[in-house]
Amino acid sequence: MDAGIEHHLAAGRHARAFDLVVPAYKDRVFRLAYAILRDRAAAEDAAQETLVRVWKALPGFDGRAALGTWIYAITRNTCLMELRRRRPTVSFDDPDSTEAQHAATSIATGPAEDPERENLLRLVEALPRNQQEAVRLFYLEDRSYDAVAERLGMPLGTVKNLLHRARKRLMELARPDEVIAA
Amino acid sequence: MNEIFPTGPCADHEHNLVDLLEGSLGPERARAIRQHVDSCPRCRAWQAEFAALDERLADAMPRPALSADFERALQERLATLVQPATRGDVRAAVDREYARLIDAIRRDARRRGLLDGIGAAAVAASAVVAASGLVGNAGELHWLLAGRPSSLMLEGLGAALAFAALAWSVGRGAISIPGWRR
Repeated sequence: MDAGIEHHLAAGRHARAFDLVVPAYKDRVFRLAYAILRDRAAAEDAAQETLVRVWKALPGFDGRAALGTWIYAITRNTCLMELRRRRPTVSFDDPDSTEAQHAATSIATGPAEDPERENLLRLVEALPRNQQEAVRLFYLEDRSYDAVAERLGMPLGTVKNLLHRARKRLMELARPDEVIAA
Repeated sequence: MNEIFPTGPCADHEHNLVDLLEGSLGPERARAIRQHVDSCPRCRAWQAEFAALDERLADAMPRPALSADFERALQERLATLVQPATRGDVRAAVDREYARLIDAIRRDARRRGLLDGIGAAAVAASAVVAASGLVGNAGELHWLLAGRPSSLMLEGLGAALAFAALAWSVGRGAISIPGWRR
């Protein structure tokens, strides 16, 4: 698919190239945005913003990086801007805060009557942000280390270590308090 | 799941246990690790706990999807970006053309002002010279009729030039005459 896109880009047919970019990347961009933002609606907005930026910047794409690497970098930047925009309003004490709503939304996406599942997702949210993103993306991308490395722009070894530490920490967090204390 | 692991798995095998679960070890290495797991209760328990967590995470992780009208919304947004850009381009072109026109008019006005100034000065100087010459040599007009060169002839030539300059200035519009329209 990327070969077709790059062929159009090389010929200066940017609109045709973009027509291929959207179906090829929209879902991957959305999943990456969701892993970072933890909210479906925000992730969809970020995916749209990302593709608009890609559309604007495509005539200047010089091919020095792979097209996917370039698109995922734009996605991450778009999401980071969204997180920075949210930051002043973050308050877990305030049930109406954006962050609290996002946490509630992400947990409420599945069956509400599964407390074990809700608890596990809360534990994921207790991880450092980079581990959270890696864990979400890993399971969204059918346990593909390569996909996570590509989307997050990290070396494969770094991603494996990140995921290993994250899941090891989750195992510790999932054990009852008295066991951890022991 | 909630067994007690005071010391965790054997440190040397922690990553291998995960790799074994994920099937990423070579056959020889996999056989060796499997033999170790069979003989080590700590590693066996830790691997079982890790596998259980992995399954729970895979089941629990929300898998949101893009809304069905994502592409339509994206195209609508891109269309709104294209139209202002086109209108902006047209507006900029009109503005540039207007600026060019104004600049040309100003240049022309400056050139005409300079020429008109020179013409008016020539008219004034020639008129003064011719008038003073004619008044001072009124009694010698017969020399002109007899074809003899004299200063009177030069003064007559000056008067003619002055008249020509006057006519030229009137023609250029520097001197307005009631009822005369260029």
